[in-house]
Amino acid sequence: MRIATFILHIDSFIIRLGLVSILNRLQGVRVLKEFKANESFISFLENHPVDYIIIDQAGFDRLVNLYISKPELLELTILLKDSSLKDLNKGVLRGDVPATLYLTDEKETIVQTLQNLLQHRDDLSTKNSSEDLSPRETTIVRLVSMGLTNRQIAEKLFLSAHTVMTHRKNINSKLGIKSVSGLTIYAIVNNIITIEEVSSLP
Amino acid sequence: MINREWPMYRVILENHQLLPLLPRFNLKMGFGELSVDEVCRNHGVNTDFFLEIANAYLDELYVPGEGLSLFSLSTMVSYIKSTHKYYIDIALPMVEEKINRLMSRSALSKKEISLVTNFFNDYKKDFMAHLSQEEENILPYVLELERQSAQDLPDPEFIQKLQTYSIHEFEKEHDRLETSLKHLYELIIKYLPPFEDLQLCHQVLNDLAALMKDLVDHADVEDKVLVPRVADLEALVLSRTSTV
Ligand SMILES: [Fe+2]
Ligand SMILES: [Fe+2]
Repeated sequence: MRIATFILHIDSFIIRLGLVSILNRLQGVRVLKEFKANESFISFLENHPVDYIIIDQAGFDRLVNLYISKPELLELTILLKDSSLKDLNKGVLRGDVPATLYLTDEKETIVQTLQNLLQHRDDLSTKNSSEDLSPRETTIVRLVSMGLTNRQIAEKLFLSAHTVMTHRKNINSKLGIKSVSGLTIYAIVNNIITIEEVSSLP
Repeated sequence: MINREWPMYRVILENHQLLPLLPRFNLKMGFGELSVDEVCRNHGVNTDFFLEIANAYLDELYVPGEGLSLFSLSTMVSYIKSTHKYYIDIALPMVEEKINRLMSRSALSKKEISLVTNFFNDYKKDFMAHLSQEEENILPYVLELERQSAQDLPDPEFIQKLQTYSIHEFEKEHDRLETSLKHLYELIIKYLPPFEDLQLCHQVLNDLAALMKDLVDHADVEDKVLVPRVADLEALVLSRTSTV
């Protein structure tokens, strides 16, 4: 699981503290910084990669110009509202945030909302990862680790030597690993092969 | 954030992670009460540049960029070169020696030992190839670009090269050197049988972790600071010549 980084922009000390204590108990979460002033918040955002912003209603209203100039920030924003009853006067921007928390929420609700969000993010990131090997490439890495040459791999998989070479090249550039010994260790720690199955190299 | 007025000894006392930076800037210990600024100036080091690198090094989340863009490309190139030298002369031999010692004292099977030693030998070769590609091709190109950009009329031959080559080609091929070390670390803590010599094993893991972190920072300097600045300068030089 990739670490998700949070920053908080909340006026009330007590509420901030409460949220931080919940966040710190979640797996794969790191709270980078807490803010109540706008300037340092904006400059922090410019210089640090942040996954989520939790911001209270008052802060959100004060920073509405920032959100208008950088609408992509909405995708990171978790809005903390006073109560769900006030949803009636929904602004144009507010519908687009990925999650909303309410001051009246119980701990379980808050944890659940945040966990759903993180789960969704993890699903997306595994889907989009170009680093992942295709099933065919995984097979080839396995055979390379067992000590087979490109020619032997070609015969075994009924491929041309040229096709195997192309796969090897793609594997190299996806993983950034060129050597057989490097691929072997990669295969072991990714459970593609066991140490017992690895060829005993000369 | 480290400050130029602070005594250097205190900075290093409180931030031992900065130790590997010292040889890179050729800063010798025995600081006495001298401030960061004094130590840097005594050694002919640009204090602002040192502070920028040291602060980036301490703050995991700091993305180098803005601060470093104040310095000339040649300052950055020489920092990159001295970092390479630190890897070749100090960091790699240090961890290699420990790995070999750990293997020779372990109860691992022959196969397991050769798995690790073959890996490290090949890793070293790939590592050296990575560095020499940068030292022999990329960094000289960056210096040449900086030199040409300072001239009223850049060399036509160089302009011709610029029309077909861009630093983004380097970026595309630029491998992450820390990835394989992470695999080795994982192999040791998860898949190999436990080592008798715990002290040595921990030292190996500590060295690997420190080197990985260093390599991440180094690649950031190359990818996030050097490449964008070089790309800007390429565009500038090209646009200037096309309007002549
Ligand atoms: Fe480098
Ligand atoms: Fe590099």
